[in-house]
This record gives sequence, structure tokens and C-alpha cells, in this order.
Amino acid sequence: MDYTMATETIGYCRNSPEEHCEYLHLAFSPLSAPLQSRWRNNGLSADFLGDYVTTFLPTASESMDAGGQQAIRHAVTYIANELLENAMKYHERGVDVPIGIHLELTKEQITVRATNGVSRVQAEQYKEFVERILKEDAGELLVRQLEINSGEAPAQKSCLGLLTILNDYSARMGWEFDSDPGSPDIMTVTTRAVLSLKDLPGAAA
Amino acid sequence: MKTIKDESFEIQRHEDTPRVCFKGALRLSGAADYTPILDMLMEMLAGPQRPIILDLRDLEFLNSSGITMFSRFVIAARDRQEANLEFIASEKNPWHARSLKNLQRLMPELVVKLL
Repeated sequence: MDYTMATETIGYCRNSPEEHCEYLHLAFSPLSAPLQSRWRNNGLSADFLGDYVTTFLPTASESMDAGGQQAIRHAVTYIANELLENAMKYHERGVDVPIGIHLELTKEQITVRATNGVSRVQAEQYKEFVERILKEDAGELLVRQLEINSGEAPAQKSCLGLLTILNDYSARMGWEFDSDPGSPDIMTVTTRAVLSLKDLPGAAA
Repeated sequence: MKTIKDESFEIQRHEDTPRVCFKGALRLSGAADYTPILDMLMEMLAGPQRPIILDLRDLEFLNSSGITMFSRFVIAARDRQEANLEFIASEKNPWHARSLKNLQRLMPELVVKLL
């Protein structure tokens, strides 16, 4: 098999123009602490990103009311928390790829993306799942998944967080799968959620 | 009164009326960690049929595992005849209306009061 350096993208993966972009990046070494002791950090990091983003938003006197700011703060916190929880949960144990969470802000949009390492087998399963959720109605899938999770055999990997990000927060989502020729069995997955500032409640069109 | 809490949240079940109040941020790591809370809610379904009230007004954050926990309770209530379930939510938490709408899709007779 030919494992040349390659990036495969699914969904919305457009990069923000660099010259007008503010960003913040947090990275965690997966080898330095077990998952459970990391869990509290997910919440702290997500809260920080949510608080941080509001300092860059237009103030009440300009184009956004306090309710709009609060809605954006919550949306960023929720999305960052879910993406980071998933990155921590599904990171392939023992793989020395940093787990990262990245916040990016332009005048038009807010991007939150998380990165972690997975096995090639996991990556293929994940690709199938994300292709399905992009094709189907996220609201219908969400309700169906909630029914399945309440049954006798709940899904081990329901990715309910991704469905709520799509359905409840109307985010555009995209995925990048990077392979490195030096480690053919490992891939780096980046999950991205993009919120359009124009579409958020309280924001001026 | 029965209480479950940690450094980020507090849940109190009042014994006189079937009412549970949630405060803080619920971001536990999965179904197993939510089991004690779900068990506390399920105990109320086993009691006499009275309106059960879940007060979320001071619940500022709920992760997707927490949404799953509430949906399991709502589905259990729906599948029990004559269950009467009410959520009290707050407009100051913008996610309340959205998440509760999803729960209402699971149980159309679920009462949601947005205060």
C-alpha cells in the first residue's frame, strides 16, 4: 500500500484568511497524564475559550446586544468542550500526537477545531460516520441516537456531541484526516466547527 | 432532601414534592458517571403518579453525555403510562430552549416552562 503524506477532507474545511485572523491554540501531551485527570481541564479550557472570544466581539453600543454575546460565549464553550472531550476520548492510546484545541476569529466567523491521533482503522470508521451525518438530517439523527442510547444496547461511540453541534448550534462542520508516511498506521484527525457571526442571535446582519 | 454534588454542580431532590433542582455545570465524562443522577431521577418514577418537576433554571452548562442522561429519563417517563413531567428552564441560558425542544420531540406531552 502507498502511504504517502496526504490530507483527506470531508465537509466544510475552508481556512480563514490569515491576515485578518486572531487565534488561540492550546495543546496537551497525551502521554503526560491519564484521561480522567485531564477531564477537569476540558471544562476549564472550554470556559476559557468561550470567555476569551467575547472580548473580541462588538460591544453592546455597536452591533450586538448582551444576549447575543452570551449566546456566542455559550456556543463556543459548548462546542470547544464537546470537541475536546471527543479528542481526549478517542485519541489512540500511546500515540504521541498532541491533542489540540484551536479557536480562530475573523469578522465573519468563529472556528473551533480539535486535533487528535487515531489508528487508521478508527479513522476509516470515523469517516463513514461523518459522511453519514452530513448526508442525513442532523435533527432526525439526533433524536434517533437519543432513542438508541436509552435502549438496552447504547452505542459506545454515539458522537452525539457532533450531532448537537450541527443541529442545536447550526455550525458548519468539516474534517481533515492527515497521514504521515513515517507512521502508516496512525492518522491525525482534525474536527472543525464554524459559526457564522451573521447567523447568530443578537448579531447584526 | 437528597443531594448529589461536586465542585462544579449541585443537584437537590426535595422529598415532599417530586422536584429536583439543578445548579452549576454538568460535564461528567460519560454514562457511568451520570448513573447516580439518573438513578435518583428514576426513583421518582417508581413513586405514586404525581407531576415531577425538574428545575434547570440555574443549570448553566450541560454536556452531550448529560443530554443523553436527561433523554433516558424522559423516554422512561414517556414509556410509563400517565407520567407527568415538567421542566422549568430559563431564558438567560440560551441553550435551554434548544435542548428541551429535542426532549419534547422524544415526549410531545413534556411540559416546558421558560421563565
